[in-house]
Amino acid sequence: MAGSQSVAIAGAGATAQGELPGRSANAIAVEAIELALADAGLAKADVDGLVTCRNLQSRVGIDEQIGELLGISPRFGATLDYGTGNFSLHLATMAIRAGLAETIVLAYGTNQRSAKTDFGIAVGGGAEMASVNGVVHVAGRAALAFRRHQHQYGTTEEQLGWVSVAQREWAGMNPLAIFRKPLTIEDYLASEPLVAPLRRADLTMISDGGAALVVTTAERARDLAKRPVHVAAMAQRTAFRADHDPESLNRPWLGELAKELWSTSGYRPDDIGALYIQDATSVWVLQMLEWYGFCPVGEGGRFLAEGRTRPGGSLPVNTNGGQLSEAYMWGWLHLVEAVRQLRGEAGERQVPGLEVALDVSSHDFLKGAASILTTRS
Amino acid sequence: MSYSGILPDIDDPLTAPFWAAARDGRLVAQRCARCGTFRWTPAEICPECLSSETDWAPLSGRAVVWSYAVYRRAMHPAFKAAVPYTVAMLELPEGIRMLGMVRTSSGDADADGEVRIGDEVEAAFEAVTDEVTLVRWDPIGRASRETETNE
Repeated sequence: MAGSQSVAIAGAGATAQGELPGRSANAIAVEAIELALADAGLAKADVDGLVTCRNLQSRVGIDEQIGELLGISPRFGATLDYGTGNFSLHLATMAIRAGLAETIVLAYGTNQRSAKTDFGIAVGGGAEMASVNGVVHVAGRAALAFRRHQHQYGTTEEQLGWVSVAQREWAGMNPLAIFRKPLTIEDYLASEPLVAPLRRADLTMISDGGAALVVTTAERARDLAKRPVHVAAMAQRTAFRADHDPESLNRPWLGELAKELWSTSGYRPDDIGALYIQDATSVWVLQMLEWYGFCPVGEGGRFLAEGRTRPGGSLPVNTNGGQLSEAYMWGWLHLVEAVRQLRGEAGERQVPGLEVALDVSSHDFLKGAASILTTRS
Repeated sequence: MSYSGILPDIDDPLTAPFWAAARDGRLVAQRCARCGTFRWTPAEICPECLSSETDWAPLSGRAVVWSYAVYRRAMHPAFKAAVPYTVAMLELPEGIRMLGMVRTSSGDADADGEVRIGDEVEAAFEAVTDEVTLVRWDPIGRASRETETNE
């Protein structure tokens, strides 16, 4: 990006995923940080910035808590109140460009499965207006959005099913993934809807785990252990106001974010060799394929059913398995996977010749972020 | 049997007027006293003109189904006794959107076919405890469709 310092991801780390009973979310985050630093060939003394991500529905994951546990007092520390890793990557990149830090470790840890976190309801104020009406869990809003998509464009449940089936195929080649048992489109269609028209396979799992990244200047990254992955472009957009427009469930504002990304970066959808879509539900994958311009709006179902996103397809999507099959790391493992793929470390599931990846994520119906990552310098 | 679903905090000053009206069988929403814009969900300030002066104004009680979904499984323990049930995103003529529960004869609109996208529904009031009346929505023309089915 013109006029600003080039920033690169120098390290990536992921803990075991699944059930990690008896450990705090913050301790899991620290383990992920150790792994990411080791990956970069750095020690904690080399870090002068810490960016963390608060856990959903609890006051843990704060930089002050994790810094204390890690035993560091970096120049720069910050915590975001929402996940997906993408927003944290942007904050770290900005901090490095502003000279607030040179080498920042970003981390997220959770024990949400072992701690039996309640993802069901919103309580208090206006938000409880959904809960009292039985609209609980993100599945409800995602089902409403998908049913509307079906109504508008004729999208079928089978077409949507290819999101989960394709991601399970990728997960089958990922040793870190929790759900690796094959899932066919017939299995998918035979399973009972939970919130019709969505099924279990359309919804994120709940799991414990940690993930971390080390981000530094491109100059410094060149001298470290692994091939640098450059942050080539970033874009964000919010959608805080939605009181008047039901369309906000299908999140058309993501199209504005995409426009911004493509126009400011000079990249085009055709340049993207692997796409990472933070997938609280499969519906988010459908929406983002369309809004980011990988297919025309309304044709996401057909695009998926053609197998484009599967292993061997023209646009590999969520090659880690995503939150539907790998683990629920709130999008963070999508970034870890993008880094591993770009370095050529993804083993059996490696996308051949990959040079440019795109990570897109959203915080519910409120904001979105996109990052283009590349090994090109 | 007592109601096991999630109950609102009817003493929350932000939403109390809504629940008080519902108990009287009236559907209301905030309307900005300065610019006249309706808003939902309840908020202290008009997001259009930032005025804090608010009236709780009556709504027509009619809405159009933008989309609907059927909870076949309870995604929260409080709704175990309620499944299957149908929820909807509703477009109101006052220019706001609301999430609501739509009452159909089986609870499963996919099975009974009583609600479709674009259908009109009307507000209904369900006293679930002595203090709390919830707003639900009934398909308009449900009776006529039942007649058709019986033929």
